[in-house]
Amino acid sequence: MTVTKTLARSVRLRVFWRSLFIQAGYNPRGQQSLGLTYALLPALKALYPDPRAEGEAVQRHLATTFNTHPYVATAMVGGILHHEERIARGEAPPASAQHFKASLMGPLAALGDGFFWFSLRPACGALSAALYPWLGVWCALLFLVLFNAVHVTARARFFLLGYRHGDGIVAHLSRANISRWGERLRAVAAASAGALAAYLSVVFANRSGLSVPLLTGACLLIAVLSFAVAVGRGARWAALYGSALLAIVAGALQ
Amino acid sequence: MVVHLTLAGLWGGLLALERRAFLQAMFSRPLVAATGTGLLLEDAESGLFVGLVFELYWLGSASLGGVHQDHETLPSVCAAAFASTVSAAAHSPGTTAIWSLAILLFAPMGIAGRAIENALDTRAVRYLGEAMTSAEGENFRRVARQNLWGMWPHFVAFGLLSFAAAAAGYLFEPIERDMPRALLRGLGWAYPVIASVAAGLAVRGSSSKKAAVLASAAALAVLATLAVTGRFS
Repeated sequence: MTVTKTLARSVRLRVFWRSLFIQAGYNPRGQQSLGLTYALLPALKALYPDPRAEGEAVQRHLATTFNTHPYVATAMVGGILHHEERIARGEAPPASAQHFKASLMGPLAALGDGFFWFSLRPACGALSAALYPWLGVWCALLFLVLFNAVHVTARARFFLLGYRHGDGIVAHLSRANISRWGERLRAVAAASAGALAAYLSVVFANRSGLSVPLLTGACLLIAVLSFAVAVGRGARWAALYGSALLAIVAGALQ
Repeated sequence: MVVHLTLAGLWGGLLALERRAFLQAMFSRPLVAATGTGLLLEDAESGLFVGLVFELYWLGSASLGGVHQDHETLPSVCAAAFASTVSAAAHSPGTTAIWSLAILLFAPMGIAGRAIENALDTRAVRYLGEAMTSAEGENFRRVARQNLWGMWPHFVAFGLLSFAAAAAGYLFEPIERDMPRALLRGLGWAYPVIASVAAGLAVRGSSSKKAAVLASAAALAVLATLAVTGRFS
């Protein structure tokens, strides 16, 4: 009798939910391997009714280091389900899932870091902060809405693509041309930060009751100097505390 | 006071989990974390103005490949909790002087948070070991539990620190009352300067190829708009 081993939708949903905990047990030895195994457990249980075979599958993922961006990890999890189904049906060797992980976790991590951490998040953060004069505390909510509209959709879509296409996910992701959006989002972040610097300097200069153009000019000069000199972590701290100290002394002596 | 301290501790602990262990939906980013702290402690304005600065300050930082950057959530929650509880104890709205003080006092908590996170990562190796032993014994429920156990130390450590920061605000309020007026004025002046430094760092942190040009153009546009509307004179 031929057994058709395809995961039920409810099992796939459980795996997706559990993939949101992929970093819970992060450690320097296996990195995300514990979180990955946690996510895969419902699927492995369904695919391998024999506890011994299930144990081998669990060991396969637990014992090897896994580390990627937490959002694109769902693509990896979906892809691993694709491979594990094939392994359970006898259509692929157990090593195929390992090869999939090893070959894609690095490139996908780079994609996730570049888009989500260095483009989308700064753009949403700076834009929302820049809109605080109109939105007040609601700007925090705007940040969540803007970011998560993309993040949640992407996470779900990555999971589906990984599950449906396995190794073919690379072609689908390259068609999305994600890097093209990156530079645009980074430009939004830069412009928003500049606008906010100007707005805050004028507002607080007005509050001080002193010469507004003079104080605004001083604040903007400090912003430009911070941009120019604060490259390393030490320089960032020096810029923050050095400028604050100067302002405190100037204010105290006024 | 007890309610404020408890809320600060729970919120700080939950955000540490959200940042690290579950979802990463950016509730733990400074703008949201600090504003949320302010809302919970009934001083949303203090939370917002602390959050704005820290959001800009850490705009371009991200942990990559297991190498952690400063923990931006811990200083955001602690500074917002401190500023809010100073206001609550004084029965008065937050001031720029207290916001500056809170930011300057708690910004280094980012480094402390990173050190704690590294230590907890190292500690979490034991959960992996337990999971591997459990898998060999075909006890797969126990394997699953090991991943979730890894969350508790983060919740407890960061929750306690947030609790302590809120308590520090209540303890500091009598000291603030007796601070020299000149020093408070200086701290008040420091807020826009700190915000300007953070904005300059944010422009660099944006990593845009045209960051300087775009930021300058946007700043000039804002100044022109404010001048036309009579707010810049």
